[in-house]
Amino acid sequence: MNERYLRELSAELGAVGIRGARRRRILAETADHLLESADTERFGEPAVIAARFADELATGGAVRSGFRSFAALALAGAAYAVLFALISTWPDITSARVLPLALVAAVAMVLAPQVAFAAGLLALARAWRLRSTTAAPAVEISILRRRAAVALAAGSASMVAIGVYAYAYSGGLPGWWRDLAFALSGACLVPLAAAAVGLARTIGLRPQSVGPTGDVFDDLAPLLDRVPLQLRGHPWRLCLLVAAAVAVAALLAGGVDEGPRNAVAEFLAVWSGFAVFGRFLGLRT
Amino acid sequence: MRAETLKGHLDFLLLATLADEPAHGYRIIEELKRRSAGAFDLPEGTVYPALHRLEQGGLLASSWASGSGRRRRVYRLTASGRRALGNARREWRGFTTAVEAVVT
Repeated sequence: MNERYLRELSAELGAVGIRGARRRRILAETADHLLESADTERFGEPAVIAARFADELATGGAVRSGFRSFAALALAGAAYAVLFALISTWPDITSARVLPLALVAAVAMVLAPQVAFAAGLLALARAWRLRSTTAAPAVEISILRRRAAVALAAGSASMVAIGVYAYAYSGGLPGWWRDLAFALSGACLVPLAAAAVGLARTIGLRPQSVGPTGDVFDDLAPLLDRVPLQLRGHPWRLCLLVAAAVAVAALLAGGVDEGPRNAVAEFLAVWSGFAVFGRFLGLRT
Repeated sequence: MRAETLKGHLDFLLLATLADEPAHGYRIIEELKRRSAGAFDLPEGTVYPALHRLEQGGLLASSWASGSGRRRRVYRLTASGRRALGNARREWRGFTTAVEAVVT
């Protein structure tokens, strides 16, 4: 009887993505339990137990990945800010060793950090909201994982772009800045990679819990509910508000010469980012 | 008592059960039943996912222990688990005092 139960439980655990050492441990603990109490009915249906494991482990794993991703991105963001603050004159764009490579790196250095910041913040917001939840709906977990994955990918792309940029313009950049750029971008890739490994470990789990997806208005409720505008249920209005705020910040930071141009570029960047990633990151349905 | 009623308190109860000494899954379930005079009679298999989750969250640690020719996974509180238990106890006492004041 116990053997059959354990076989069924093993198959159900495999079906929800629990394999390897974790499955062996669960089966060993269950076998030990059933030696004390052979009542498999009291233990629970194998499918129910397996789903419970997947729900609880996936929720905890996704929440931790959300927090770790943001922490790794915060380090990368600090490194990025230091490098930008330490340089006063940027090299002439045509002075690159390999111009196409340098241009790709320059564009990535501008765009990827913004994507990383937005996705990382959204991952953090959802992780915070789910921090006390033992078993979140599968769709909620899926969106949290996506946000963390996009944030880590964009954060890593930013660090790689800095390294490539420093190499491509090594002739026109101070030697100490180039060396610092290599060191900081390389060092920041380590926590980003560690967070990515942590996320990858939990991504195979297939939670079964059914429930609402939750949207950005749930994730950012403490903040958005204070805004005296009807935003809930209107994601494009939120996009417009954020794009306008970012554009105003760019206008003020850029001064008379570069401000207006930067403001338009930032507005369009936020708008197009929302259009491209909005559905994937659970910002709009 | 219905399992649904217990759901929100399961973590607190598991941490409290392990406060005095480490224990394996079956013993934890029996201890819960004994201390509650049979009121907390959970579907047994549902305790293990919670134990794994609490361990994943750093509130519990576990290791294999051998005895009587058997290997058993024994759980114990970590320092974080002990702190979480202290906080949960304070919250629970505040809550029950407030409820008592209202309903009696």
